[in-house]
Amino acid sequence: MPPFTDHEVLELVRMVELETLDIRTTTLGINLMDCADPDLESTCEKVYAKVVHHASNLVATANEVAEEYGVPIVNKRIAVTPVSWIAGASGAKDLVPLAKAMDAAAKEVGVDFIAGYSSYVHKGFTRADQALFDSIPEALDVTDHVCSSVSLASTKAGINMDAVNRFTEVVMDTANRTADRGGLGACKLVCFSNVVEDNPFVAGAHIGVGEPETVLSVGVSGPGVVRGALARLSPDDDLRAVAEVIKATAFKITRMGELVGRETAKRLGTPFGIVDVSLAPTPAIGDSVADILELIGVDSTGAPGTTAALALLTDAVKKGGLMASSSVGGLSGAFIPVSEDQGMIEAVERGSLSLAKLEAMTTVCSVGLDMVAVPGDISRDTLMGIIADEMAVGMVNTKTTAVRIIPVPGLGPGQKVEWGGLLGTGIVQDPGQFGCEGLWRRAGRIPAPLQGYRN
Amino acid sequence: MTRRFLTAEDVRRLGGPVIEVDEGTVVTPQALEAAAAMGAQIQTGGAGAPRPYTPPAPDRGPDAGRAMETLAHLPEPRGELAGGGMIVTTIGKNRPGVLAEITGFVAGHGCNIHKVSQEIVDGYFHLILTVDVPSSVHFADLKAGLEAMGGQDDFVVLAMHERVFRFMHRI
Repeated sequence: MPPFTDHEVLELVRMVELETLDIRTTTLGINLMDCADPDLESTCEKVYAKVVHHASNLVATANEVAEEYGVPIVNKRIAVTPVSWIAGASGAKDLVPLAKAMDAAAKEVGVDFIAGYSSYVHKGFTRADQALFDSIPEALDVTDHVCSSVSLASTKAGINMDAVNRFTEVVMDTANRTADRGGLGACKLVCFSNVVEDNPFVAGAHIGVGEPETVLSVGVSGPGVVRGALARLSPDDDLRAVAEVIKATAFKITRMGELVGRETAKRLGTPFGIVDVSLAPTPAIGDSVADILELIGVDSTGAPGTTAALALLTDAVKKGGLMASSSVGGLSGAFIPVSEDQGMIEAVERGSLSLAKLEAMTTVCSVGLDMVAVPGDISRDTLMGIIADEMAVGMVNTKTTAVRIIPVPGLGPGQKVEWGGLLGTGIVQDPGQFGCEGLWRRAGRIPAPLQGYRN
Repeated sequence: MTRRFLTAEDVRRLGGPVIEVDEGTVVTPQALEAAAAMGAQIQTGGAGAPRPYTPPAPDRGPDAGRAMETLAHLPEPRGELAGGGMIVTTIGKNRPGVLAEITGFVAGHGCNIHKVSQEIVDGYFHLILTVDVPSSVHFADLKAGLEAMGGQDDFVVLAMHERVFRFMHRI
């Protein structure tokens, strides 16, 4: 056994005990392609049976590994094949029963979320995709654990603006159906440009066509650890020193994720997939990406300089992660979910973090506009414009971008909504007074950009 | 016919008294109910050695063998580990016998202490033990036992698997 210095031992103890280092999620991917059936009721039966069959010991196994290794695993989740792919065989127009079957399976095995109530429509719709879109608002209203995601754009395909329009209506309907819970349904709904097919984080988790029968992936977090390491630097240290500290910390976090992921996968007998090394904040004090940006050197998140600081952070996290593991995947980088990050909530309250600045930040973060609250009476074309802009950022920059936006029924700019738990506190942001009715009317498709033609 | 699943609809279509399924077939809960309602037996094993259906072990797919691999680039020793290593960190108020109490507990479980490091500052001590845990000792039980020691106003124990430190600190 190699000896460790006291410093090495105490560093890890400090990370776990004081800096909220944890494995944010272990996500078991289950391929559902063999569940397709001409009868939707039978499809639902198969989905329930297959998920329970494969995931019945996921929670116990993850808890056992967490206990033994002394590293907390916060969430246990399931990602499945986008269900519109298996629903097509039935020709059903109402796919809510599928969501209910997924929800029942999630409850039976005790996971936090099951994600994959999804479809890919970046170039167009099948009848099943159409049925899925139509059923999302009710599905997210009547279930507790189901998450939904859709692919609307890619660098290769361009942006399906018909789909963006339809998605906008789905977001509004979902928020309105769950108005009594502050539009909570929309917190479980996300759209993507350049969708990631092995993402273990909800709401966008699912497994794509190239994934195996079952696969176990982990998402590691640790904004608190990076924050702690940066706090020990001198405020006058060069930015290269900042990058090095973040890289070294990301290396360590990623290695721990790979160890826990591989061990959990081994005990389940399923192949290990990827480590998603993402700084994913929580509402807990200190577990904040905004705090890191402020330690790097901006007065308040959203101030000029924020995009540059975030670019440094995202890049250094990726570099440290890639050195640590050959299985880095998913979204990997820094998340900026506004309502889930105490530092960002404060920045919005302080008036330093606007919707426009958030969009700029998404050009360099690893995801996109995440957990952003807007007024419940926002016009549909304004909301569509926000989503379309974010899809364009992803498409042109050959990066993944996402939008998880919640029009909070009955609330206007500056008002607060509590979603509870990890979803945190939303402060409604002002989208401005102008929209894009003409863009809505034209619809159609924005062609793929030049950088999409690389064959 | 090879089946991945047997649904309630399949049961109604096939009818009883006996419905034969493959070894790997997953029978849905609704199919079990439907079979029970019509008094049909679901069995597996073929005509030669029929037996009542029991849920199969999950088939994790053709790539499942990869789950058992130890990759050469990871900081793992080659070959199977005989047991595990545990790093025990303790912080608390110094008093006579505290070291003996902790090391005695470890020894009582048949574990060998590989390295001890202790420092005392202003009446408080911190102790780091590197412990060899033989494969005959249940790792989780030892860990739980250690962490239940001490208490408020005395000392706290944190025990972690040595692999966590190795993965984090070794290239």
